[in-house]
Amino acid sequence: MSQEETLNGKLPGGAFLGRALHRIGLRGRGLVIAIPVLWLFLFFLLPFLVVAKISLSEAAIARPPYLPLWNWDDGFLNITLNFGNYLFLFDDPLYLSAYIESVKIAAVSTVITLLVGYPMAYLIARAAPDTRNILLMLVILPFWTSFLLRVYAWIGFLKGNGIINNILMKIGLINEPLVMLQTDFAVYIGIVYTYLPFMILPLFANLVKLDQSYLEASADLGARPVTTFFTVTLPLSASGIIAGCMLVFIPAVGEFVIPALLGGPDTLMIGRVLWNEFFSNRDWPIASAVAIVMLVVLVIPIMLLRKAQAAEAEVQ
Amino acid sequence: MTTSQPSTAAKPWDTPDAVPFMQIKNITKKFGSVVAVENVSLDVYKGEIFCLLGGSGCGKSTLLRMLSGFEVPTSGQIIIDGEDQAGVAPYDRQTNMMFQSYALFPHMTVEKNIAYGLKRDGLPKKEIATRVTDILSLVQMDGFATRKPHQLSGGQRQRVALARSLVKKPKLLMLDEPLGALDKKLREETQFELIKIQESLGVTFVVVTHDQEEAMTLSSRIGVMNKGEIVQVGTPHEIYEFPRNRFVADFIGSVNLFEGRIKEDGENHVVIASPEAGTDIYVPYAVSGVEGQQIAIAVRPEKMEISKADLGEMRNRTTGTVDEIAYMGNVSVYHVLLDSGKRVRVSQSNRTRSNEDAPTYGDRVNLGWAGRAGVVVTA
Ligand SMILES: Nc1ncnc2c1ncn2[C@@H]1O[C@H](COP(=O)(O)OP(=O)(O)OP(=O)(O)O)[C@@H](O)[C@H]1O
Ligand SMILES: [Mg+2]
Repeated sequence: MSQEETLNGKLPGGAFLGRALHRIGLRGRGLVIAIPVLWLFLFFLLPFLVVAKISLSEAAIARPPYLPLWNWDDGFLNITLNFGNYLFLFDDPLYLSAYIESVKIAAVSTVITLLVGYPMAYLIARAAPDTRNILLMLVILPFWTSFLLRVYAWIGFLKGNGIINNILMKIGLINEPLVMLQTDFAVYIGIVYTYLPFMILPLFANLVKLDQSYLEASADLGARPVTTFFTVTLPLSASGIIAGCMLVFIPAVGEFVIPALLGGPDTLMIGRVLWNEFFSNRDWPIASAVAIVMLVVLVIPIMLLRKAQAAEAEVQ
Repeated sequence: MTTSQPSTAAKPWDTPDAVPFMQIKNITKKFGSVVAVENVSLDVYKGEIFCLLGGSGCGKSTLLRMLSGFEVPTSGQIIIDGEDQAGVAPYDRQTNMMFQSYALFPHMTVEKNIAYGLKRDGLPKKEIATRVTDILSLVQMDGFATRKPHQLSGGQRQRVALARSLVKKPKLLMLDEPLGALDKKLREETQFELIKIQESLGVTFVVVTHDQEEAMTLSSRIGVMNKGEIVQVGTPHEIYEFPRNRFVADFIGSVNLFEGRIKEDGENHVVIASPEAGTDIYVPYAVSGVEGQQIAIAVRPEKMEISKADLGEMRNRTTGTVDEIAYMGNVSVYHVLLDSGKRVRVSQSNRTRSNEDAPTYGDRVNLGWAGRAGVVVTA
């Protein structure tokens, strides 16, 4: 955001940057492309390269806590690449199990989110236009409150003498409070709750476009509503399903706050490992290696998403 | 305009005790305060190609959608093959529909699209395969089985849609603007193909169109609709030659309408005073009306003569000035400004390549038409 404001000259430095860009021949259409390119370079590629660099260096008790990758020695450039951090990740079962656990938790929550989100998106898309806007508002409304606060509120629901346990005991369904907080169950609840809108919105956008005449054609050819759903509606919303799943799965793999607040000591997700390496052990190279491997793991689903979108664009 | 005679030599609609295949009884459909279809009653017989013809928004699609069960009539009754259709869900009806937008499933190949309806009936795989192949060759689309709809041209999609609706051999096939997306030449070809297919399968067709030429070519009978009502039902010939009212006369083909009043109401003729036509018009048959009654005479452009010479032998004559000539190849259409200020259209077929005697712009011309050329419309 600040980038655009700068270019609009709203900030004191903006006019200067604008003039500088102008001087190097960037204006009009070139500028339009330059802004996102610059943005990605500054806030994605550069940090990525920094992290990649750190992941290849050796930890040291220093400031910053790692040895430089290269140094000048008698006029020669010495580059020391240290792949030991990566090897270490595969040596120590902790990391591998943390990856697997993260992917598992993210995958299971994605499926649950889909199962909860699809009917909601479907009903919103089928609702009368007035109702539809209200329902969409309700889906987006939680974003107006801090995410941290909302996850924190779940503690109040789930804890031993929390709201849920109190109600269940009041109506006599249980005698002992259920242990829900600090379990994987709580983590699933947290993730599904938090990411549900990211599932509903792309699904809604897809389902609302669905041409009614396909459904009528299906019925006309003798398909009952349930058959029509599985043979027409579901396949035609595949791209919405994939988009929603990616939007939930990708951030959920690296989720840190939810397992930290709601999870137990044995909920081992990669976000937490990363946090520990970085802040507790001050092992920046290992932490960076963990982050890079996570990125690689996530590139696969992102590529799947792109492929699905390209396929859909072709059909239209 | 080509007027094909109905394929069935017998005309069940003229036979008093013939049982209609489909009966629509006093159907009305209201959307809130909008009356889309108003008190329509209609009988369609087996093996017919029945065209519903009318302008945009006159309720054609709504009527069709009620027949397929997508809209519930506000009142009235639909009986198909002896069965009352009230409360029968679309997927339980023995009818199929070809949609105005084709509605081919975009994620399925041509083959899968066509097989869809057969699969729902639980037919064995082998039979489905043969029926799909057969219908594909009937609509001349063999070789396209594995394409997806977006890989087809508009005309090919239309054929697939037709095949998909035909393959179940429905009792009644409804086609909503089936040829709307085709160019004129392809449309004409396909019209004849449709007739052939209809004859070979013996399915009853109800076709919706707003193209009167298409209705003329295709149908055994036409139902002309206006503002939700059926204003006239008849064979293409009846509709064209004997329009019941001004709307039908004006809607089907082009027509010159001369307004006037009955001047002389004879035993077997009437004379109509029409200042608009600039003459008294003689009609050699009796008309139910009283002297002084407002009435109109409809005369088709091709039934009028135009000449610079005298047209003494014609029963009805008037004069005017050629204002415009539209050369259409096979015919030339003259727009003539009568002395009364009314414009009339007269078409003459171009029998020779050039004709020195033909009237041209600005010429004073005589117009004439036979007594039987005009048809009286009272409503
Ligand atoms: N679902 C609906 N809700 C409200 N009004 C409708 C609805 N469907 C149709 N109408 C109205 O009913 C009338 C008839 O519509 P219909 O679609 O039957 O026309 P049509 O004869 O098929 O026209 P076209 O030739 O343009 O397809 C129109 O005035 C239309 O606005
Ligand atoms: Mg229509």
